[in-house]
Amino acid sequence: MFKLNLKIAWRNLWKNKGYTFINVLGLSIGMASCILIFIFIRYQMSFDQGFKNEDRIFRVVTDWNYNAYDDFSAGVPIPFSAAARNEIAGFEKVGSILKRGGVISIKDAVGKEKLKSREAVYYTQPDFFDIFSDIKWIYSAPELALSKPNSAVLTEKYAIKFFGSVKSAIGKTITVGNKTDLLVAGIIEDQPQNSSFPLGIVISYETFAGRFNENWDSVNSSTSSYVLLKDGLTAKDVQASLKRFNQKYYPIEKIAGNQKNKLQPLRDIHFSEKYDNFADSSINKSELYGLAVIGLFLIITACINFINLSTAQSVNRSKEVGVRKVMGSKRKQLVSQFLTETFAVSLVALLIACVITELAIPPMQNLFKGTIEFSLFAHPVIFIFMAILVLFVSFLAGFYPAIIISKFNPALAIKNKISLNNGGLSLRKILVVVQFSITVILIIGTLVIIKQMQYVQEKPLGFNPNAVAIVGIPTDSLSKIRYNTFKEKVLRIPGVKEMSFCQSAPLSSDINSSDFTYNGIKNGDFELRNMRADENFFKVFDLKLIAGKIFRKSDTANACVVNETFLKKMHILNPQDAIGKVISASGNTVPISGVVKDFNDQSLKEHISGLAIFPGNDQYWNVAIKMDSEQLVSSMKDIEAVWKNNFPNGIFDSGFVNQSINSYYESEQIMGTLFKVFAGVIIFISFIGLFGLISFVTTQRTKEVAIRKVLGASTIELVKMLNGSFLIMVFIANMVAWPLAYLFVFKWLSGFAYRIDISIWPFALAMVISMAITLITVSIRSYKAAAANTIDALKYE
Amino acid sequence: MIQLTNIEKYYANKGVKNYVLRLVTTTINQGEFVSIMGPSGAGKSTLLNIIGMLEEPTYGIYNFLGEDVTNLNERKRIELYRNHIGFVFQAYHLIDEMTVYENIEAPLLYKKVGSGERASRIADLLDRFNMVAKKDLFPNQLSGGQQQLVGIARALAAQPSIILADEPTGNLQSAQAEEIMSLFKKLNEEEGITIIQVTHSEKNAQYGSRILHIADGLIKEDVAVTA
Repeated sequence: MFKLNLKIAWRNLWKNKGYTFINVLGLSIGMASCILIFIFIRYQMSFDQGFKNEDRIFRVVTDWNYNAYDDFSAGVPIPFSAAARNEIAGFEKVGSILKRGGVISIKDAVGKEKLKSREAVYYTQPDFFDIFSDIKWIYSAPELALSKPNSAVLTEKYAIKFFGSVKSAIGKTITVGNKTDLLVAGIIEDQPQNSSFPLGIVISYETFAGRFNENWDSVNSSTSSYVLLKDGLTAKDVQASLKRFNQKYYPIEKIAGNQKNKLQPLRDIHFSEKYDNFADSSINKSELYGLAVIGLFLIITACINFINLSTAQSVNRSKEVGVRKVMGSKRKQLVSQFLTETFAVSLVALLIACVITELAIPPMQNLFKGTIEFSLFAHPVIFIFMAILVLFVSFLAGFYPAIIISKFNPALAIKNKISLNNGGLSLRKILVVVQFSITVILIIGTLVIIKQMQYVQEKPLGFNPNAVAIVGIPTDSLSKIRYNTFKEKVLRIPGVKEMSFCQSAPLSSDINSSDFTYNGIKNGDFELRNMRADENFFKVFDLKLIAGKIFRKSDTANACVVNETFLKKMHILNPQDAIGKVISASGNTVPISGVVKDFNDQSLKEHISGLAIFPGNDQYWNVAIKMDSEQLVSSMKDIEAVWKNNFPNGIFDSGFVNQSINSYYESEQIMGTLFKVFAGVIIFISFIGLFGLISFVTTQRTKEVAIRKVLGASTIELVKMLNGSFLIMVFIANMVAWPLAYLFVFKWLSGFAYRIDISIWPFALAMVISMAITLITVSIRSYKAAAANTIDALKYE
Repeated sequence: MIQLTNIEKYYANKGVKNYVLRLVTTTINQGEFVSIMGPSGAGKSTLLNIIGMLEEPTYGIYNFLGEDVTNLNERKRIELYRNHIGFVFQAYHLIDEMTVYENIEAPLLYKKVGSGERASRIADLLDRFNMVAKKDLFPNQLSGGQQQLVGIARALAAQPSIILADEPTGNLQSAQAEEIMSLFKKLNEEEGITIIQVTHSEKNAQYGSRILHIADGLIKEDVAVTA
């Protein structure tokens, strides 16, 4: 019976090639999008997964509550780990891990440097590996390899990169910085991509120079501590002892901001907005949910097509149903026959979807800058997902038509007298409205995202980032002596206009902030962002002063320049009033010499901070070089040569300010691209569905059209009549979609401190687009129906 | 009123011509009540369709109201439907989604008759056919005879000069059929509406004034009915 069903299914599909094509095409595109989204979500959800004690492992983070705002850091004070190990009874293990950057150099047998590169290094206590006991050690063991100073552990990948093989790496020496030699004492397996601590070069904590720091007041977000709770304990159980610990080490009278340590579950790290991680790869869970919803939308849209088209076709098959019923087929058998058909179609669609997915994976990897590797067949769970998808689709899409078709009255069905036009509010109409609401929401979303990204790109930032390169400079004392010669040489390069020693570009997420005293009064409302730059900084970035003047050229801080926002926050109305007042912040006590016009010092997602720019020779680690935009390439080449000549031990590292500004909106840009793609896909699916549906409606109404024609209706009048109901449906869909789209768009835009106003035009444009496409799609078919030969429809049965 | 000259209709199939009508020449005058008779497949319906401009003849000349309508464009044809021709079908062909009232109203809407005029004409028709009580019913709530009455009322609504009826009583019982036929006769005699009907029944043909006997696509006989 099943085989027969399949055979009949195949013949039917073949007979109605047009509808089958629309069905399979819509379904496979929808499925492919779903599979892609699933692969992406699976990857994101798999972060830090699979550790044996994963529900007992926590990262310790630090929170502050200032009067005006809260602050968060993924790090802990350096003395934390040692103190916590002794004092909090619920912790079984506490392991510090610090991420730092370092220049690694490898020497060959005769002592000649054979490899030099900038790498992330992790200073780690052996306890860390006791917590993450699933990390496999290929050679040695945590205690053995990481207890002594000047020892390092490499992953297989790095062992091979540095020494050619795992075996030859053991016992060799690597140099970090200029002088610290480390013995390779252990090898661990490579870490997966989906890890929040992508270890590569691990150095024993005992090597870390700052390990004896006793300052509880200073927190670096790259100084982390992981803890393993004792067996059977949960985060709640250690709450009390952690509270006591916080009270002991962060007394309010001594440490500002009500500093506190907190436990963060391991599996939350990747999804945390507040706290960053070593892999810089966090993603918001709401973004994942958003994607999942889009995936669901896509598959629902495709299924709606299927349902509408199947019910449409069913009229043509009423005779078959009637005859089968007369022959004694039970309703259940008919339902299973039609479900078989749907199943066959979904299966074919899945195969095509796999092909589409394979084709779409490279561009998707590209979208994520190749940092993520996707594969269709790497994880069995993807197959399970596909199986569920096919079952879900065949059931969702096949059940309703099967019920409708099998319900036909055999006597009427044989005479082909079945009519599906039950007037009123049919399911089909509701489905079309749902489908188009989804489409319109995505169109509106896409329009708003495009507009906002355009705004972000075009908004004046208050400084000129064009043709400015940021070049890193070494900070060791030997190099510092050469800063001046370097500057002279660079300024002599043709095309170089101006150069400034600084910490970062005016817009940077590299923030150094502190509390401060203004005019002798300590401020408790906000933290002052400290920027370090010399007097040329203002010229390089075209920053405008609105009062006072720039500080004099000096090696040490002699004065500072504050911004307008600082004045606003301090309630100083006249900028002149601030000139000459003394600010004391992060070890400098200097007068204010000038006020700079506000510029965006962070991405447009954030408001401008109150900030001060201090000179200070010993705290620059970058130079900003303004060039002639015509000569960028040649100037950069010369700069690199001069740099290498001047700082032979360093590694040249440069970037353009423009590009780094754009990188702050990477996730929004990815979102924008995804929206464009998926909106396109949904529009496509919806409209081929619409085309199928109008084909059905015109077939249904052929007789009526013919009658109206002999009553004197013109073709235009008939086309209008046939189109009318569709336009009304799409109009209603717009009305349904608008409030939902507004909510979504409002939510998304509220993530930006600087954003476009939500205007009516994306909504109106979405309506125009959807109505126009509907009109075109529908008219093609309805015109054909209206212009068809009347007599064919009026012949007697 | 209607002048057919050498009308031919054939379907070419693989080079073989299957003639439905050959060399039909006849004239039908204003005020006549013509019945077209003949065995199945003789070409009766095709002839009526050609007269109703639902099909085009393959060959020949067709004059309607003194105008050559053999190759008429759509706009002109619709104009004729709106003002001169009313159709009555064997299967009634009412629009299922519309009430009796709305069905009768449809041709008036296309003719762009004003709403007051529309209401009075429909009221008049409903009254004449004793259907006032049924005006809000849907076609499937009526008997076949009643449906056909609505069909005729609809055909009359636009005040046509000619009614083309294709086996108008084919689906009806004899009592209902008689009622319809007397109605036709009355319309013909009292209002001077030209009626052309296709029928199988000798008895129905007797209501008319003239009978065209067709066999194998040819007019075999053209007789006047003597009452």
